[in-house]
Amino acid sequence: MVVFALFIISKSGGLIYNREFHSGLVKLSSNDLLMVAGSFHGMHAITKQLCPNPPSAPVPSSNLSANLAPAPWLARPSGLEVLETSQFRIQCFQTLTGVKFLLFTEPQQPNVDSMIKKIYELYADFVMKNPFYTVEMPIRCEKFDRGLDGFVKVRG
Amino acid sequence: MVLYSFYIFDRHTECIYSRRWTPARPSSSSSKARPESGGSIASNGDNPAHAARKHADDEKLIFGLVFSLRNMVQKLGGEDDTFLSYRTGEYKLHYYETPTRMKFVMLTDTKQNNLRPYLHQIWANLYVEYVVKNPLAPVEHPGGIGVANEMFERGLESFIVAVLPA
Repeated sequence: MVVFALFIISKSGGLIYNREFHSGLVKLSSNDLLMVAGSFHGMHAITKQLCPNPPSAPVPSSNLSANLAPAPWLARPSGLEVLETSQFRIQCFQTLTGVKFLLFTEPQQPNVDSMIKKIYELYADFVMKNPFYTVEMPIRCEKFDRGLDGFVKVRG
Repeated sequence: MVLYSFYIFDRHTECIYSRRWTPARPSSSSSKARPESGGSIASNGDNPAHAARKHADDEKLIFGLVFSLRNMVQKLGGEDDTFLSYRTGEYKLHYYETPTRMKFVMLTDTKQNNLRPYLHQIWANLYVEYVVKNPLAPVEHPGGIGVANEMFERGLESFIVAVLPA
């Protein structure tokens, strides 16, 4: 049971956090990592657009303001969630605010869903509640790092 | 099991075969939409030119997507890593690439296991048999010439009915 790495991509496609837990992926320079994150952001948008059967929107109500509101989240295609290759697996979790958590694991890793939810909790607790953190900026929070370490080590 | 669409791309980035099934997949009325829209600009509605243009756009998007995903995977996992499939909340895309850089792509519902062996079989048993070994088919297939012949279409139809029961 191996978790290779964690990326956090901001809503505008910038890599705001990356952390390697186990070696196994190719070592990339920080420039390359930024490029990978940016292109993943774009590809995620395309996968949303390619949806062959868009989830049907709920029946529009007669209320005008409700009609002008953007589609609710349930009625939108979700975009890429799991990507499988012969050597690893990427689980992508997008929050409602557009931040993407990418977890790189072994192909047969179980329970990645709950793991990524837990990481989201850690993010909410130690990054978003940190008064010195500016949104959209690279995450440098020691407590978040330590929380991740403890969590991934306990699981692994 | 729901099958949405199937595409073959050649090594020149061109879509040489595409086939779509309606979500319900009635096998009798398979809509074979080849992008023929030349200059006609459709403004609105679901008229055929508009649909064909949308399908042509989809083909380009899918090619670009699998191309970049493949490159990203090779960058992260090393040269011998291969991209197999991805899944969203609504559909799953399966991918197979031959040694000659031809790409076979299939879109299905999310419950499907990896279809790579089936895509390999389509290549080996249908494409090679009926397109490559066809003496009348050209070596390259600009615009899909020589791919969509009757044997290949019928073989694909029966293969899908046989291995992917509805």
